[in-house]
Amino acid sequence: MTVERMRSTVLTEFPHIQSAHCESGVVSNLLRHRGIDISEAMAFGVGGGLFFGYLPFIRLNGLPLVTYRSAPGSILNRFAEIPGIDMCQEKFRSRKKAMEKLDVLLDDGIPVGLQTGVFWLPYFPRALRFHFNAHNLVVYGKEGNEYLISDPVFPEPVRCPADDLVRARFASGALAPKGKMYYLTSVVKRFERSSLIVNGIKGVSRMMLDRPFPLIGVKGIRFLAGRLEKWPKRLGSGAADLHLGHVVRMQEEIGTGGGGFRFMYAAFLQESGKEMEEQSLGDCAALLTEAGDRWREFAVMAARVCKGRGRPGDTYRAMAEKIRECGLLEEKVFRQLQSWLKERL
Amino acid sequence: MDEEKTAVDRGVAAGLKIVSYVAGDDGGQRLVSGSVWQPVNTVNRQAWQEIERQIGISKKKIAAGKVSCLHYYMTANQMNTRLLARYTGQSRWRVRLHIFPFFFARLGSDTVRKYAEVFQTPAIDLIQGRLSPPVYDSGAYEINCAD
Repeated sequence: MTVERMRSTVLTEFPHIQSAHCESGVVSNLLRHRGIDISEAMAFGVGGGLFFGYLPFIRLNGLPLVTYRSAPGSILNRFAEIPGIDMCQEKFRSRKKAMEKLDVLLDDGIPVGLQTGVFWLPYFPRALRFHFNAHNLVVYGKEGNEYLISDPVFPEPVRCPADDLVRARFASGALAPKGKMYYLTSVVKRFERSSLIVNGIKGVSRMMLDRPFPLIGVKGIRFLAGRLEKWPKRLGSGAADLHLGHVVRMQEEIGTGGGGFRFMYAAFLQESGKEMEEQSLGDCAALLTEAGDRWREFAVMAARVCKGRGRPGDTYRAMAEKIRECGLLEEKVFRQLQSWLKERL
Repeated sequence: MDEEKTAVDRGVAAGLKIVSYVAGDDGGQRLVSGSVWQPVNTVNRQAWQEIERQIGISKKKIAAGKVSCLHYYMTANQMNTRLLARYTGQSRWRVRLHIFPFFFARLGSDTVRKYAEVFQTPAIDLIQGRLSPPVYDSGAYEINCAD
């Protein structure tokens, strides 16, 4: 499909800062463009980005969905709800209209956030081009038939031909973006951050501890451990290794910031602790870093098994134990955070 | 994760420098630029090996005349009949039928064009059964099995 060209060059000044996760990176960069200095980790925490869910009834390439973060779009929605931030979010049926609206906004000097499918983005390294449809990026300009893109996981701004961007915006399958775009319409200059931080922590703690559903939160971590232990017997060793590799991929792939987002959340807790002068948040951060380290130890062990170079102790049972340790540590972190929240009331 | 563990590996992400959170000596998390972590490379490679294995199976099936070349294009582009049906705006059972050489050989030019657009390949390749590389792998043709 060819997209009609408006002006040949449209360029908005946009502060591209590389980040570890796309959605929090986009939110932080969009706010920075409006003069609000907010780190990626802070955006992630305030947006309640941390989560755990093992959802075997949703399949990605035939493998069960394991997620270490909240649903795509939820950080954005949280920010859109904050009083003082006006964010416009739109979806489209028509490809032509979606691109026309993008061009109009760029013409007005407004950088626009887009949800896209990674598979169709030509600037992505080949090895990362899977059908993942919840990748966020910011378009801040257009030159000829190419869009100038601030993709938060890349070190420098990138370029993407219009035809490819259309495909990426209208990718099909799970989490189809349907041309979703979002942009800030007005933002107040100052925020009372502590209440935002408290709300963010409250939401995540509730998700991790208080949901009755056994597949999410700390319960979900234990559930995964139980299932993982049985994979070799239930699926056979080949399929079990594929499942195992998938769990690690979801945990460590680009965009997670490492350790299944645990390190990023720890960074948020540290920053919040400093800002609010609360030592207990710093303590929780240290504990969560430890949980992240356990996740990494699990990943290292799993990678050895997947490679067929497992050491004597590298069994599925040992890996399940590691995951249970993560569960235990995370339960401790969020119990402490909940009691901190109660003390504040 | 400790800072010294950010090993450099140019394998999976073609040397893309990413940033991730790393705890320093004081325990403070900071964003550090580095390459993709080794275990990620391993599991990512594993995922691609599985895709390549499936492509291999698909090619054998095509050579044996069991499936049409559409099966190769679908597999190589990491799709299944459901996703391909969504992309081409058809029902799933139609796509399933097109997997059979008998039905594929009788496709109308409009339908072939739809497939060609999704796979970003000339329609003639599909008609002649040529297996051109998937969307993420532009380059020379791999093999020609127009028989």
